Amino acid sequence: MNTQRRKILQGIGATGAVLAAQPYLSFPAIAQNKPLRIGIISPKAGVAGTIGECGLRGTMFAVDRINAAGGIAGRKVELIVEEETNPKDSIERLRKLVLQDKVDCVQGIVSSGVSLAMGAVAEEMKALLIFWDGTTQDGVKETMPNPRYVFRSTDNECEAVMGSLLAIKHWKGQFATIAGINPDYSYGRNNFAAFQALLKKFGVEHKVVADQWPKVGTLDLTSHVAALKAAKPDLVFSSLLFADLPVFMKTAHGAGLMDGKTKFVFPAAGFQHTLLKKEFTPEGMLFGHNTLYFNLDNPTPLQKAFVQEYEAKYKDYPHWEADRAYFAMQVYKAGVETAYKAKNAWPGTEDVINAMEGLKVDSLGGPGQMRKDHIAEQTFYQGMTTHKNRYDFATISDVTKMYSDQLQKPAGADFWKWIETAQIKL
Amino acid sequence: MTSFFDVLLGGVFHASVLFLVAAGLQLVFGVQRIVNLACGSFYALGAYFGITAVNWSTAHGAPAWSFLPVLVLSGVLLGAIGPVIERLLRTVYKRDEAFQLLLTFALVLMFQDVLRFFWGATPQQLGNLSMSYGKLAIGEVSFPTYNVLVMAASIAIAVSLGLFLQRTRYGRILRATAENREMAEALGADVRGIYASVFTLGTVLGTVGGALVVPTAAASLDMPVELVVEAFAVVVIGGLGSMRGAVAGALVVGLTRALAISFYAELEVLAIYVIVIAVLIARPAGLFGKPVE
Repeated sequence: MNTQRRKILQGIGATGAVLAAQPYLSFPAIAQNKPLRIGIISPKAGVAGTIGECGLRGTMFAVDRINAAGGIAGRKVELIVEEETNPKDSIERLRKLVLQDKVDCVQGIVSSGVSLAMGAVAEEMKALLIFWDGTTQDGVKETMPNPRYVFRSTDNECEAVMGSLLAIKHWKGQFATIAGINPDYSYGRNNFAAFQALLKKFGVEHKVVADQWPKVGTLDLTSHVAALKAAKPDLVFSSLLFADLPVFMKTAHGAGLMDGKTKFVFPAAGFQHTLLKKEFTPEGMLFGHNTLYFNLDNPTPLQKAFVQEYEAKYKDYPHWEADRAYFAMQVYKAGVETAYKAKNAWPGTEDVINAMEGLKVDSLGGPGQMRKDHIAEQTFYQGMTTHKNRYDFATISDVTKMYSDQLQKPAGADFWKWIETAQIKL
Repeated sequence: MTSFFDVLLGGVFHASVLFLVAAGLQLVFGVQRIVNLACGSFYALGAYFGITAVNWSTAHGAPAWSFLPVLVLSGVLLGAIGPVIERLLRTVYKRDEAFQLLLTFALVLMFQDVLRFFWGATPQQLGNLSMSYGKLAIGEVSFPTYNVLVMAASIAIAVSLGLFLQRTRYGRILRATAENREMAEALGADVRGIYASVFTLGTVLGTVGGALVVPTAAASLDMPVELVVEAFAVVVIGGLGSMRGAVAGALVVGLTRALAISFYAELEVLAIYVIVIAVLIARPAGLFGKPVE
């Protein structure tokens, strides 16, 4: 794979309004002279290429606004972007960013496979690393038991927990047989298992009549849909994502799987929402948009500005990876500035880490927090598909908003035991 | 019984898709002895370009039903890249197979960047255009008419290629060149021209295949690698270089996959490669391949 290095210098196309950072314009001149270097590692190609692209746009939006407002604690931000590919090569790029480019912080990563391998290396190198995404349950306890330098995103299973809760809330008593079609890796496996565990917890009698595990990137799902159709489930739970989901939708629609009364739960639909066209995406399906739903009735001024700029600049509508990237940058900014204020001098990495623990920030999708155990808390959105909008794709109505403290295990807990014992409200 | 027909149709449809990818691979190897890993890239290029062509024609007032001929035409036009790539491959015709594999794999990577440059990283698709031809329904079995057309196109291409290679003068020259290049050359065959023609035909098979299938799927940057891996299972089972083998291999892989998914989804990949291994042990040249002497 080609590795390209891009330097996106300070002040590129800064169009955002100058916000709360105005006071920092008065930081000492010495600090302002040297840019703060932040390394970004995100996918450019492959199934996750579009995810990395959206995340990077979220980062650039944040950096444009930060630089327009005077930088982080008076220092402008300079990004050095590297490509996320396989774990081995991505780790090499982390080493290069830390040792050669001498970045102050590294952010990014979408794949769980890469994050699990990279977390341990960052700890060893004592390099501050903030993940955008890519943190399923499996392996995290082993590779990052008590991280000091690594800050993780919310559990990847949050969206499945929320989708399960909403499915139970809306459709309990209306389904007895369920089927799953989920991507064949820990994320898909955990999501379907979490759905079944929550059905059990809430006393929903059910029978699994089909479970399909296409590998990521499967572009012909005709046989999978035929198998689902043959099983005649009352409800289909699917964490398919990337291009696989629109292909599934089209195939299922063409095969008549969506003609009956079968209910559908798609916790990760928001990742490729613009590809889910109205013609083959019926109304009344449960869709998850994770931590950013671009079409809220009453968005915050920040989200409104971001979505407008994104639409104008890229002729597209953002999904949650932009929010994850923005959140990572804001947490780092708040950490540096908090530590700077406390120390009244430029803080070291340890000071910034201490300051980041427990910090609350406003992200594009809503309020968020970095827990003291270095796991993020963020705001999640899900709802029922509707065609009543100005777009050619399905959006959601009856939007439910939940904070992730209701969706992910508390510090130190085991995910599966937490599902069994937690006091979860429907 | 309804379920059986659903599964059967799913398997045959997948076989049709695989045949369209594998046909170009077989033709090029059969005549030129080049294992062209880039056949998957031609397929992806056909898919992306087909989307652009249909969007362009629709924007210029073309009726919805015309998307099928537009896709075929766009695939044929893209065949123009065939002679250019073939010119590049001439540098490795007489080298070790490893060089050929490296060069064609390099092309796969380069095409991935070309696709990203022109169409971006976001997967592209044609909305629900494939459903504009409606569905064929027999009892509870319903199948998009367009998918049936893709299967028919695969059969038509297979039959046409067979007739072309067996019944035409040029086809006989191609087969003679495949059998013994030096002898064909000594008898006056324009081998350089034949190679360019064959490679272009192989490219067109890939680009038309990608264009035909994209309305039912999506075009993504991973398509080339994804498809070429399965296409290799097809050629190993059917026999490298054999067009009949491509048909048989595609059917074996497509139907095995559909049955595995239906009965025990975890075996989807395993079932195919058990057959691949069995063929490699029992009949290393494949079902229709010629044993190496």
